[in-house]
Amino acid sequence: MLFRAHWPRAYRAAFLIVHDHAAAEDIAQEAFVQAIRRLDRFDRQRRFAPWLGAIVANRAIDWLRARTARRESGQEPPETAVAADPPTGTYSEEVLAALAGLSPEHRAVVVMRYVLEYTPGEIAQALDLPRGTVNSRLRRGLDALESRLDKAEPV
Amino acid sequence: MNAQRALESFRAPDEAATQERTWSVVRDAYRTREPVRRRRTHRRLLLAPAIAILLAAVTLSPAGATMGRWIRHALGVPHAAPALFKLPASGSVLVSGAGGTWTVAADGSSRRLGPWRQASWSPHGLFVAVARADELAAVDPHGTLHWTLARPAVHDPRWYGPTGYRVAYLSGHALRVVAGDGTGDHALAAGVASIAPAWQPGSDYRLAYVTRSGTLVVRGADSRRIIWTAPLPGPARELAWSSDGRELLAVSASRASLYDAAGHSIATIPASPGAPIRTGSLAPDGKTLAMIRGATNQDVVVWNVGSATTTPQPRRVLSGAGLRQLAWSPDSRWLLVSWPAADQWVFVRVAGMPRIAAVSRIARQFSARGAQASAQDGFPSLEGWCCTTSGTAG
Repeated sequence: MLFRAHWPRAYRAAFLIVHDHAAAEDIAQEAFVQAIRRLDRFDRQRRFAPWLGAIVANRAIDWLRARTARRESGQEPPETAVAADPPTGTYSEEVLAALAGLSPEHRAVVVMRYVLEYTPGEIAQALDLPRGTVNSRLRRGLDALESRLDKAEPV
Repeated sequence: MNAQRALESFRAPDEAATQERTWSVVRDAYRTREPVRRRRTHRRLLLAPAIAILLAAVTLSPAGATMGRWIRHALGVPHAAPALFKLPASGSVLVSGAGGTWTVAADGSSRRLGPWRQASWSPHGLFVAVARADELAAVDPHGTLHWTLARPAVHDPRWYGPTGYRVAYLSGHALRVVAGDGTGDHALAAGVASIAPAWQPGSDYRLAYVTRSGTLVVRGADSRRIIWTAPLPGPARELAWSSDGRELLAVSASRASLYDAAGHSIATIPASPGAPIRTGSLAPDGKTLAMIRGATNQDVVVWNVGSATTTPQPRRVLSGAGLRQLAWSPDSRWLLVSWPAADQWVFVRVAGMPRIAAVSRIARQFSARGAQASAQDGFPSLEGWCCTTSGTAG
């Protein structure tokens, strides 16, 4: 029950941050496995979703940073892996394209707020950021997103 | 468009399919998790330090450690045994490296077969095909030489099973076949890629190999007739038949593909982006596929491929930087993972209750220079984990 209730949002959030469906699946899966291994240490007074979401968001940010570092240092594997079978189903390319313009950190904050429904305080705690930084990233991220979506909208 | 609303209504691709794929992994993780005992009473609190020490002694020992504890990115499994005292399952492990070729019996005793660079068990462990620069030879598990054959640039010998009547090997880029008694050596194909050929068990001497242009070929070694071919998506890294000869695994960096005996593709497991497949190995029972995948850090993942009707689900059993090779125990229950960066062998039990045991200082144990060995001597390659318990019978 716990898995089925939380998987769609966890996977969706990872996908919106990394923009790679195979990586997002791996990230969300690893987050679940990690959460399960720590389940006995979980404070049952707290909500499960923010706890899981924090693991997903941090892993997704780490994945993006690692990929950027590999590109910068030329350490991409010599034989680039072929992507998994292309995803099926409909999803908004406009939203993805708009998010792609944000930095990983801004993207994560926006996704945590509007997809995972964190409060700014919870985001600050999960990402170890000052509350003011979270608020400013949210404001800037949302503004940038709105402006890109407006441009993408057919006149 | 309102950004907030757009995000709230966003749906990722394949949400339902990914949920189904992940469910079994998460369920397995839940079943194998280690519950933490909570201290409830004051009296128990007083006992806690003593219990913690006892628990640590048990759980951190190689015998007590479980797989879940070591699924992480670290260099080596902590508290590894300082020497290979015994194998966790029956059979003998074959090892080759700068220190020559060695066999390791189940009781941990090792025997050096000679200064060979590569080796392969015969199907019942009665002989070992060995190779060095310009020579192919057959020795028994005591190291006694039975025959030799001088050929240029010999590598990757493989013995046909179950009879042992043929040995295939590469000489440069030529694929050659010789009878098990060292007679009748002949060339079978030219322009062959530098990966070990694979005999189809129980067939009339059918051999799988990959051409330098990237085509997978299955061919009769005696009839020389090509049975079937299939293009591969990239340079192959591993070929392996299931023990019943009904399935052929071809591993490349971008995917692992399973073919039936007629050459039809029956399953494909693509690599995740940024996580190329390093190597793969089918368990002797043909039901489980193990792979090492990843660029900087690697994961060892196992897949149940026994049920062809469902998409196989991965299960990660070990993670670390620099994992290199895999070898299955003859009973398909244990996976031996070589970890040169940590100078360790890690034994992972993948059937039944998960378990893990590691052995350190492997390079020194299989160096011809013994205690004087250094890291420059290199880490030995796993050549197989075969069927005999003593290395003398089977």
